[in-house]
Amino acid sequence: MTFLFDNGKEYGYEDLLRALNEGTTYYPYYKTSDVFSYFVNLIKALAASQPLVLLDSDINPSEIDGLDESKVNVAESITPASLQSMDEVVSAVQKSNSEITIFTSGTTGQPKKVVHSIATLTRAVRIGERYKGQVWAYAYNPTHMAGLQVFFQSFENQNTLVNVFNQPREYVYQQIRDKGITHISATPTFYRLLLPFEQVYESVIRVTLGGEKSDQHLYDSIMKIFPNAKINNVYASTEAGSLFAAKGDCFQIPEAIKDKFKVVDDELLIHKSLLGSSDSFKFTDDYYHSGDLIEWVDEAQGLFRFKSRKNELINVGGYKVNPGEVEVAIQDIEGVRQAMVYGKANSILGNVLCADVVLEPDFTLTELDIKKVLSSQLQDFKVPRRIKFVEEISLTRTGKMKRV
Amino acid sequence: MEKVLEIVNEIRNSKGLTVLSEVKMSDRLREDLSLTSFDLAELTVKIEDEFDIDIFEDGLVSTVGEIFAKLEK
Repeated sequence: MTFLFDNGKEYGYEDLLRALNEGTTYYPYYKTSDVFSYFVNLIKALAASQPLVLLDSDINPSEIDGLDESKVNVAESITPASLQSMDEVVSAVQKSNSEITIFTSGTTGQPKKVVHSIATLTRAVRIGERYKGQVWAYAYNPTHMAGLQVFFQSFENQNTLVNVFNQPREYVYQQIRDKGITHISATPTFYRLLLPFEQVYESVIRVTLGGEKSDQHLYDSIMKIFPNAKINNVYASTEAGSLFAAKGDCFQIPEAIKDKFKVVDDELLIHKSLLGSSDSFKFTDDYYHSGDLIEWVDEAQGLFRFKSRKNELINVGGYKVNPGEVEVAIQDIEGVRQAMVYGKANSILGNVLCADVVLEPDFTLTELDIKKVLSSQLQDFKVPRRIKFVEEISLTRTGKMKRV
Repeated sequence: MEKVLEIVNEIRNSKGLTVLSEVKMSDRLREDLSLTSFDLAELTVKIEDEFDIDIFEDGLVSTVGEIFAKLEK
């Protein structure tokens, strides 16, 4: 069984097992762009219950407060676990007492560190016969929460990962075809990069979206490309891991942890018992402010929908604009592939609402066309005042859209 | 002058106002050209895109002439 396809190379589970039993060292602070070596080091540390700090391959260690740069990529000795089979490896990982430190993506300011246990990292992992034989497109940064979720889901069932993180559209499609990918978990932005629809890919049976708000227009397009796929959403945060089950375009708080959530001023508050630990967390009566604004669909059943991020609201002359709402409206216009809405500092209004728009090839739209459509649907202050047509929209390290 | 006229017309056009054939130095942005504070903000951003100058940076500008004074500095 193949463990990982990366960059033209194939690594079997027997290669993984051999690498895990090689040598008596690991790297507590490991920075590498080689995904296989990264996973070997991760599993080694977990199986031996050693602490581990996950660093992005492109991060400058000086960006992170309190990180001793001299420790990066320095090996430390470890007692070899002498693991005979992959089942033993998986079992050792599940029982791990490691403290795993990851960093928030820092869409606002400095990355903050959060310490997790294997329990919070694998809360959403499902194991069993029906999860065997899956081939996963690996579309997340492996050091981030979402990347870890997909890794553990695949690895604990001894499935196959195909690395497509940050790869161009043609490469992704080629991998889906060649490797017979069955599962894709990625940000809405990743799926938008796969548009427009050209061809059907039948092998994909599950498509998961996470990380940002998505829209019906995108769902429809995904269903055209992957007609056999069930689409679902996932909510996972760096702070808490995966928490909710998706139900259509809503999320449901599981009955068992229902009392661990509160909603205050539309903001979702999470009890500290569900979180990793971090000095940067601030609690009000043991509840953490997630910054996610939600609306109840059915409060008794714990069913809700995400509206936006609290700190994402843009203040335009005293009016608060939810950029996600405006993005959805723009993306619904025919000919628009992707839109990003952001505030630009302005001496008159505080911020001027601006939008960057990527058009479908062979489509022409003017700034005025878009403004006219939006004016008929949105209040005046929500209509972007400057619309720029761009080739692509820049992303954060996590693959989310970067708001300027 | 042409560029500023073009931007003003772009803004007026998207509000359903008539397109002007010229602007005069004495034209008042709010009263004569019917620009609201949101329109003025758009004007600032677009002039900044074009000329790299924030015309409202140090206080309000109320006429077309005052815009040109800022751009000529």
